[in-house]
Amino acid sequence: MQHVANMKTAGTEGHAIEIDQVSHVYAGPDGGVPALSDVTMKVRAGRFIVIVGPSGCGKTSLLMMMAGLRKHTEGRILVNGGPISKPDPDRVGVIFQEASLFPWLTTFDNIEFPLSLRGMLRDERRRRSEPMLSLVGLTGFGARYPHELSGGMKQRVSIARGLVQDPPVLLMDEPFAALDEQTRMTMGHELLRIWSTTNKTVVFITHSLTEAVYLADEVYVMSPRPGRMIDHMEIDLPRPRTYEMMATDTFGRLRDRIWQQIRKAH
Amino acid sequence: MSRAALGRLCGLSAQSAATLHGGGRFVKRWQIIAIRLAICALVLGAWELAPRMGAVNSMLLPPLSDVLKTLMVQIARPSVQEAILVTALEVIVAFLIAVPLGAAAGIAIAEFPYLSAICKPMLFYVFSIPKSIFLPMFILIFGIGFQQKVAYAAFTTTFVVLMSTTAAIESVKSDYVLVARSFGATPMQIVRRVYVPSMMPVLLETLRIAMIFNFTGVMIAEMYASRTGIGHLISNWGENFQMPQLFAGVILLAVIAIAFNEAVRALEVRCSTWRT
Repeated sequence: MQHVANMKTAGTEGHAIEIDQVSHVYAGPDGGVPALSDVTMKVRAGRFIVIVGPSGCGKTSLLMMMAGLRKHTEGRILVNGGPISKPDPDRVGVIFQEASLFPWLTTFDNIEFPLSLRGMLRDERRRRSEPMLSLVGLTGFGARYPHELSGGMKQRVSIARGLVQDPPVLLMDEPFAALDEQTRMTMGHELLRIWSTTNKTVVFITHSLTEAVYLADEVYVMSPRPGRMIDHMEIDLPRPRTYEMMATDTFGRLRDRIWQQIRKAH
Repeated sequence: MSRAALGRLCGLSAQSAATLHGGGRFVKRWQIIAIRLAICALVLGAWELAPRMGAVNSMLLPPLSDVLKTLMVQIARPSVQEAILVTALEVIVAFLIAVPLGAAAGIAIAEFPYLSAICKPMLFYVFSIPKSIFLPMFILIFGIGFQQKVAYAAFTTTFVVLMSTTAAIESVKSDYVLVARSFGATPMQIVRRVYVPSMMPVLLETLRIAMIFNFTGVMIAEMYASRTGIGHLISNWGENFQMPQLFAGVILLAVIAIAFNEAVRALEVRCSTWRT
């Protein structure tokens, strides 16, 4: 634990995530299937990073590796200064596509699930989950079950669940992909608001170019399989971001650059 | 085999159950209940009146009131009480054997892909065979007493439990497991906190359907060859053309079966409020 605490302080000064020449080959019936090829990324603490790439390019695999949920064949991944060989909720929170809330638990119990795994008592759990619920704008919905919530609300609960242990790094795997366009825009905006109050390092995966430019400090573009990093750009739009920015030339240029890169790689 | 398919197999529509407790408007629910009661009253009324007015042969269908009178008389007889007790014991013992056995086999098949690859097709084939054709073998091995009833009913029920346990385990979404793992859950925590609650509604329904199969198994075995039990009485009354007794037996059995089914279902509805 001491080890982790030291790394946390180290992380805030330097890189929250360092990915160094990571390659991955899946074992297949006739030899291996290359999934990732020589991926290198350095993410400074507190930054909002978006990874864009075509389906099956290995971006989810890469995210799972950062979360310690999947192994890689070559290279090195450091999160907060230390290798991550298995899931470590003290360092990394993961938010999945489709919310993946447990349908048999209420909103409160879903948010408190990570805490209850470590045997935290009910009162203490509630004390921690209540501010999370209000942070994601769902005060009063704590006793509802997932099927009583809309898609956007479920994703808010999922974000609260990812934040409740206060990990310095938040990994998000296409969290809004299943939402309709309007909800998706609102949720993106909400996420930026939450992020600005929590100081987390975020790595966010998406298909949507607009979402990428709107949310990110930096965008990484990946090639089709085996996934490589083919572009890395700074998004120098001012913060807080507003919907009006989407109509600006800068926004359009950045969006177009990503699109050109993806198209070229096909 | 899916939940719905199992439901259909037993003539229970998952749809109707869903509209029942999902059913929105209050007024409509009362309407539905009123119409149901009316239909019941109509059927029972017809049962009473049709034989009395000579519309049907009262030798074949005795009036309801006669049947109920016979039922009271029969229930008071020690031999009938003993038959009820024997049948109930057979049902319970067979259930207690079949459920753990089927569940263990189902878990083994779901958790070990190698075993599953070998056994699953064979089990499906055997599952599709009507089990009653094996009855003569059971009689040769176990005789026509208590053991044979239990063995035969447990045999038929084990398959149902096995199939639906496998389905229940396979129904657990891998996403849930991934989420739990990402929060550092241990394998034991994943079983207790993800698998068990996720499977609970299907498991409860399995119990209910298993009981239906189990009861049927005992009845068939008793009616086929035995010296006691309700099935034996019913089959005897039928062969001797004792229609009031026969119908009394049918009512008695129906009430017992429905009571058990509803008890398990009440539990199931309570535990599955999240399923919509």
